[in-house]
Amino acid sequence: MAAFENEMLALLPRLRRFARALARDAADADDLCQMTVEKALLARGSWQPGTRLDSWMYRIMRNAWIDTGRARGRASETFVDAEAGSGMGSDGGAEARVALGEVEAAMRRLPDEQREAVALVLVEGLAYKEAAEVLDIPIGTLTSRLVRGRQALMLDLGEAA
Amino acid sequence: MTIEPEMLMAYADGELDPLNAKRVERAIADDPALAQQVERHRALRKRISDSFAPIADEPIPDQLSALLKNNVVDLPAPRRRPILTRWREAAALAACLVLGLVVGLKVPHGPVSSGAGGLYASGSLAAALNDQVGGADGAVKVAVSFRDKQGSYCRVFSSSATDGIACRDASGWALRRTQQGSTTQRSDYAQAGSPDPDLMAAAQDMMAGEPLDAKAEEAARSAGWR
Repeated sequence: MAAFENEMLALLPRLRRFARALARDAADADDLCQMTVEKALLARGSWQPGTRLDSWMYRIMRNAWIDTGRARGRASETFVDAEAGSGMGSDGGAEARVALGEVEAAMRRLPDEQREAVALVLVEGLAYKEAAEVLDIPIGTLTSRLVRGRQALMLDLGEAA
Repeated sequence: MTIEPEMLMAYADGELDPLNAKRVERAIADDPALAQQVERHRALRKRISDSFAPIADEPIPDQLSALLKNNVVDLPAPRRRPILTRWREAAALAACLVLGLVVGLKVPHGPVSSGAGGLYASGSLAAALNDQVGGADGAVKVAVSFRDKQGSYCRVFSSSATDGIACRDASGWALRRTQQGSTTQRSDYAQAGSPDPDLMAAAQDMMAGEPLDAKAEEAARSAGWR
């Protein structure tokens, strides 16, 4: 196995965690990982050796999530809302929600722009500057999305930290 | 002095320069509510980080690591670009001339024929695109098969005459992209078919979803690529 593949392999745990923070459930996150690795293998010619492979992979994953995840995410929100509105009677839905955990559920209620900022900085531990580069936005835009996302999470999670 | 919410958050994350950090510290000393805000930011950060951390410790699913361990689509290492790109343009132009000649002369059983929608694969190239398994060696080698955004099957191929991407439509294998054949430049015939990075990049742009695996490719082949 070549060095490039080895480095990617070492990044997979972090990529899976990032995918989980973005995607709507574990299965979706695994799909996103699969897609990201395949896209990265195909696009490896565009990676500049000496630059950070992790940032490059985060960017590929985030773009893949936008291409496929957002549209599906919107469609599923309506579905989940309707299900939640119909009460706790449906076993499958209630079980799935419990398994997701409070924090993941709260993350999923964030607007996409805030969710990706929170995922990169709070979940992945990137510096503001690094996160802004992955998202290709000015650092001021990143901090305003991040602060709004955090305020929403504090409210949602009842500030009981 | 007012402290912006962004600045307070950046302070909590240790992202402020020393000068601004001092400003925030002075403001905090005067206002217990601000100190509480900083604590809440830190507590939230820890809670989010802790709840996702176990995912990074889970074993990687085999299906995912297998993509990297036996990378079936054997891609070439990136090459040095600037000079090669110009050569490649020249080579592509040359390939077009060759194609033009081939089409113009209407050589029977040549690799290319002209159809309703442009240039189409014919002869041995068409046969290989129809029947050849991806990765198999031969006069024509197919590197990757995939579906484009319109849902048509496409295949990246290389041969002595021309390399390119062909997509299946009602008339046959339409040539979407061609360049001079890679095997003409190489002595080792068995080496044919390492796809050119530019060609692979073009394929990636056209691709909807992922490349076909062996099973999907076989299914597509037996359905006549339609």
